[in-house]
Amino acid sequence: MKKIAKSILILLLAASLLAGCGTSTSQKNEASQTTKEKVITIDFWAAPNPPQQTFWKQMAEEYAKVNPYIKVNVSPMPESPTSEAGIQAALAGGNAPTISENISRGFAAQLVDSKALVPLDTMDGWNDIVKTRNMENTIQAWEFADGHQYVLPIYSNAMLFAWRIDILKQLGYNEPPKTYSQIIELGKKLKEKYPDKYLWANPDLIDSTWWKRWFDFFMLYDAASNGNKFIEGNNFVADDKAGVATLKFLEDMAKNKLILTQKATDPFETGISVWTTIGPWTFNTWKDKYPELKLNETYVLALPPVPDGMSTDNVKTFADTKGLVIYAQSSPEKQKAAMEFIKWVYSNPENDMKWFEITNLPPARDDVNTNEQFKNYLKDHPELQLYAESIPNAIPPIDNAKFNDIQTLIGQKAVNPVVAGQVDAQKAWDDMKKAIQGVLK
Amino acid sequence: MKKGQEKLGWLFASPYLVYSLIFFVIPLFGALFLSFTNWNLISPQYENVGFLNFIQAVKSPGVKAAFFVTYKFMIIFVPMVLIGSLVISLIINSLPRFKSFFSVGYFLPYLASGVATSVVVKGILSYNSALNVWLRNTWHLNIDWLGSQILAPLIIAVMISWKFMGYYSLILTSGLESIPGEVYEAAAIDGATGWIKFFKITLPLLYPAMFTVTILAVGLVFGIFTEPYVLTGGGPGFSTNTWQIEIYNQAFSKLNAGYGSAIAIIDSVVTFVTIIIVRKLLEIWGKSYGWE
Repeated sequence: MKKIAKSILILLLAASLLAGCGTSTSQKNEASQTTKEKVITIDFWAAPNPPQQTFWKQMAEEYAKVNPYIKVNVSPMPESPTSEAGIQAALAGGNAPTISENISRGFAAQLVDSKALVPLDTMDGWNDIVKTRNMENTIQAWEFADGHQYVLPIYSNAMLFAWRIDILKQLGYNEPPKTYSQIIELGKKLKEKYPDKYLWANPDLIDSTWWKRWFDFFMLYDAASNGNKFIEGNNFVADDKAGVATLKFLEDMAKNKLILTQKATDPFETGISVWTTIGPWTFNTWKDKYPELKLNETYVLALPPVPDGMSTDNVKTFADTKGLVIYAQSSPEKQKAAMEFIKWVYSNPENDMKWFEITNLPPARDDVNTNEQFKNYLKDHPELQLYAESIPNAIPPIDNAKFNDIQTLIGQKAVNPVVAGQVDAQKAWDDMKKAIQGVLK
Repeated sequence: MKKGQEKLGWLFASPYLVYSLIFFVIPLFGALFLSFTNWNLISPQYENVGFLNFIQAVKSPGVKAAFFVTYKFMIIFVPMVLIGSLVISLIINSLPRFKSFFSVGYFLPYLASGVATSVVVKGILSYNSALNVWLRNTWHLNIDWLGSQILAPLIIAVMISWKFMGYYSLILTSGLESIPGEVYEAAAIDGATGWIKFFKITLPLLYPAMFTVTILAVGLVFGIFTEPYVLTGGGPGFSTNTWQIEIYNQAFSKLNAGYGSAIAIIDSVVTFVTIIIVRKLLEIWGKSYGWE
């Protein structure tokens, strides 16, 4: 009996101690809330790279000057092991921020499935943002299957290919080839003259990690299919002919030993290969590490190649594009404050200009190529011109919640075995299609 | 034991017990619960799917690969690390001075970040590294180190062995130091030479330490993640796909937390059974030589 009484006493003591802690914390919060008088603090997770953090910190500081009642705390999103896992862990632990950027359509679809995101189009101010930011066309591709908009796209990179024009000139070319057979022909000439060089050095081609397909398969497929969708809702709607042609092109390159799948350090920059996938983020690295690489002297930029017989104008490509979301976990008051902040940022094109200058990533607006402000900037940065011009031709990633499985299967069943010479293009496409249809059931 | 002493014992053990409760027991039951659901940790809706996750896991090529890859790593890694740490400890033990200095030297790789060492190794093995350029120019050898299903696991096993040899050698060195010098002196009087001393005295008396190191090394194989994740991502063709990579991919990359938990439960059962088997085999082997 004594023992029971003792245990109860200990439990009560512990409980009262904990309760005491709780009271003091909540009292503190209440006190601070009262003193600050309706100051709402929202957490903003910026992409884990310094330029994007710089931009958002600057925006938060400037916003504090015009609206002292909304405080925006900008911090980098956790990226260990990945930013997606960091967000998932925060959501699971109930510690999600109010807003975060760096969200792809596929990941957003997963979050939407889990009811973790606020439909932005249901919030006051959404239409104003779309209108004042001049993004009526761009935003259309971002509509989700349920008809809502959950992501505000921030930037849109129409992914391009870079060619070592200095080496191509040595082979008798003044511009890069545009069709599959022209590329194979160039590859053969390259191997003849430089047996140690490769057309494309890309170890990702034998790696099945889902996101690697954005920068090889989808670039080529979007071009070959003229932007035909791959998945619509829960249906596989890919263009079979274009898909097989894409894989056949990879197969032909591998058969002619034009692809290096070994990991190599900066193969394009060092001239081991003459062709590479490139995003605008590369130019800052080149500026510091490879200043000898100069546009139209050592390299040129081009849209993806297309199958023989297809028009080489207005070629489609993959859009590496990410956006900003508001989390459903935060309070309605914070969600509203977040919307106010976003509205303020995008009400002024100068802020998008700042973004462009700081990050090199083209803002997801319809007028990047026509607005005088952006046009002047692009004149001084010709390497970004084609990116801006290609925004209308850039196809965003698939928005299916099973994007990870689907893109892993594209690697495992199609791209990887074709490049390794294990299956032919037609069989690889059929195997992949069957496997993806199984996942979509 | 007196009542007061018993309480003192509980008091001293309590930090570890609380730690185990928070970081082991609760998560274990949490994982067990999750493994029977299709919950992704963030969705408000989920269903109880019974044993579906386990059935799916057993059939999955990724899990099958993880199962066999672990034993492949074990076959390469355990003998390599055992022999290596034994050699290091014998060298350190035979040193007349600066034993601690060298022990710390060999221990340092254990403190190195797996990510950092993997990045360095990736650089060394890249197509245009000095090593590969030399191999191509001198011997016309173009080796795809990390693209080979045979070489990639071997390289990872060597890296992990290098990392753990110094750590395990500390355990073995303390085992060697605990062998009384008189035993060697008596053997010398009986005419025993170097190798006979090693096989008849050192090895049998070092058996408990070797036993510990072997069990630790076997357990370690089930937790390999960083090196294959950074170097090969589990490839080529699943040849380095470990349990941890599979669990990570399912739970954190594909948000299939329930399915990932089922894999983790299977992994823990396989680990437990393997360690029990290895332990029994070691005991039988030790007894047959009269080392126990």
